[in-house]
Amino acid sequence: MTEPNLMLTRADLAKYPFLNEASDYIKELGISIEDIATPDFSPVLERAEKRLEEALSKGRVSNEFGNENAEILSFPVSNLILSLTGEERAQRRFALAEAKRAYELLRQESPEKLDYIARTTFGWKLKKIDAQPGKIFYDFAVSLADYLRNSVHLKEPRWKLPNRILDHGQVYATREELARLLEEEVRTRIVDRTGKLPGEVPKLLQPRVERTRGLITKWLGIPSHYELPQVPTPEAMPPCVRHLIDNLAEGKNVQHMGRFTLASFLVNIGAGEEEIVKTFKPASDFSERMTRYQVEHIAGKRGGRTKYTCPMCTTLKTHGVCYKPDKICETIRNPLSYYKQKARVLTGRGPSREPS
Amino acid sequence: MNPAEQAIRQKFQQYYLDPKRQLDPPPSPAEREYGFLLFNGKFMVRHRSFKDSGSLLRAIRDLVPLHVYFSTAYYREPTAPMEEKGWTGADLVFDIDADHLDTPCKPDHDSWKCKACGTAGKGGAPKLCPKCKNDRMEEQTWLCDRCLQQAKEETAKLLEMLYTDLGVDHENTRLFFSGHRGYHVHVYSKQTSQLGEEERREIADYLLAQGLDPQLHELEETSVGGTRVAEGPLMGQPGWRGRIVAGIYDILGSEIDQIGLTSTQVSALKSWDREDLLRKPFWGSVKGVGMSTWKTLVSKAVEKKSAEIDSVVTTDIHRLIRMPGTLNGHTGLMAMKVPEERLDEFDPFTEPLAFQGQIKVKVLESPSFRLGEERFGPYRNEIVELPSAAGMLLLCKHRAEPTA
Repeated sequence: MTEPNLMLTRADLAKYPFLNEASDYIKELGISIEDIATPDFSPVLERAEKRLEEALSKGRVSNEFGNENAEILSFPVSNLILSLTGEERAQRRFALAEAKRAYELLRQESPEKLDYIARTTFGWKLKKIDAQPGKIFYDFAVSLADYLRNSVHLKEPRWKLPNRILDHGQVYATREELARLLEEEVRTRIVDRTGKLPGEVPKLLQPRVERTRGLITKWLGIPSHYELPQVPTPEAMPPCVRHLIDNLAEGKNVQHMGRFTLASFLVNIGAGEEEIVKTFKPASDFSERMTRYQVEHIAGKRGGRTKYTCPMCTTLKTHGVCYKPDKICETIRNPLSYYKQKARVLTGRGPSREPS
Repeated sequence: MNPAEQAIRQKFQQYYLDPKRQLDPPPSPAEREYGFLLFNGKFMVRHRSFKDSGSLLRAIRDLVPLHVYFSTAYYREPTAPMEEKGWTGADLVFDIDADHLDTPCKPDHDSWKCKACGTAGKGGAPKLCPKCKNDRMEEQTWLCDRCLQQAKEETAKLLEMLYTDLGVDHENTRLFFSGHRGYHVHVYSKQTSQLGEEERREIADYLLAQGLDPQLHELEETSVGGTRVAEGPLMGQPGWRGRIVAGIYDILGSEIDQIGLTSTQVSALKSWDREDLLRKPFWGSVKGVGMSTWKTLVSKAVEKKSAEIDSVVTTDIHRLIRMPGTLNGHTGLMAMKVPEERLDEFDPFTEPLAFQGQIKVKVLESPSFRLGEERFGPYRNEIVELPSAAGMLLLCKHRAEPTA
């Protein structure tokens, strides 16, 4: 490194290969992607593949600190291979596994090091504090924007803003909580990186990409466009959607948001137009022409040509469409994910849900 | 256009044609989308853009719209179709409207009628018709001192939380009277402009204390020497913690016997010195007041201290919002900037009046109301000559027709 870094050692870069300093370190070693594909670097390639295989098979990545350089170099190689597969599910799963690995290590770091990482790699604005307003000791006050960007992905009530101490735009956080928020940041960063297609790719990497594709099919099952059952499966529908269908069937009035939810849900699970129109038939104010027009609009066959997706659960809660949420509801944010998950269980394909 | 609309439009035109007329455009006016609701068939013209307030005013003078809006969002191409506009950020906005407040005077001046079955009632409209469960309602609302006073109080709570909790900068904050039944607060800042919908929902939930769990603020029962004692946050702690205690302090000094506690609990709390709340850990020190009573007090305190914003407005990052300096077509009153330090003394029935002179109208039905220093009505099927602002209010509210 050009300047000695007082905060981070090479061992740290091996632990956290997503850091800016890790990228700088690789640059300074002067290693290009062509080099990686040569036999000299086989430990790096092996480790890169192992990272992927572990993430795909177990949802975890183990630590191997024996060869620090291989650890640092293998991470961007894993990213590269994964981005070349173009498989979003695998990218998400890998990002989650790597982020979890990082979290387990981050939570044991000193407040100073956490502060440094948050600041330099992720550009957070945060303050180190010593505050104990009650029983809990807080090491950090994180700026509201940095907090929210990550906390919105976390569903436990303790992350909800009204349950936090918020003081002049700063959210108090413990060391463990800071590590958890950083985990989210790490995950997002990896998803972004693996989602972008790189420019030039050395030919030697191609077999590795094919191998990884094989692993993805092996561990994550059939590619995503086959994820949904071919035929709409009523048993897999979430409670809110079933409730809407029941209400319509009983001739009860369903409000606009409810109708839109139902129609967009059915469109997205591949129900036919006739079938959808039929669902709305019992409604007291049913007009076949209007219904057909609106269903076509939602399906993207008319107007702006956008196919609408189903509203998020939070929106449905706000509009009172959410109904008797069950166990699966706790793990999803959109009725369509509920359907995907339950359909997978019902049809006995693949793991019941993405391991967390 | 019916005769009432013609009369209103004519007055609106005079207002906008005034050579001294100036608008109060938001920052970065050229990066926003503008929308006008026209008199002609209530048609909405959207996706317009203007490089400055001069060109905007010229368009308003040409069109003479019933309502004028601008987007809280900034776009690379404000005139492109929605999907191609290129969102680059949005102001953080808050709307406090008497529509969302539960004021006791509503049955006196508001009413509703179901569009499907004709069922009607007094007060704010229910979400669903109690008879046929339809959700389309025709509403007649009115603006009164009491509703607007309540809206003002909610606004003051909102501003306090924005500054002390959210750390919003005074410099970047503007307060507006909507020209109807409420107030708008706009925050123009780099830090908040990039927030997404979900992040804004968290902020709305914070202000509404939606999902607040007292246990996560360390309200809990512990055991001290074998006896069970309540413990909780303290006065002066940041955020909701201190605010919960401050709310309890207020309740103990006022409506303590109206919150559904038993008379023994009330007298125990009344005989206890509420100043203890200011001095020391107090939760365990009131005899006869256990955990469930404290929980009731906490939930009442939270209700009292939260700011009743309309969260739909705050979470919508493509919202069109009323332009200050223009007329509100629901009332003929001006939407206008209110200097924050003047919120307390601001009189929404005097300062936003836009018209001079007298006007003769045939009033169908109107509750009694105040405008400026004068009281008017109630009226029923009568022709009256009124100051223009009062006559316009009745015309805009569909309570009157122009005389032939």
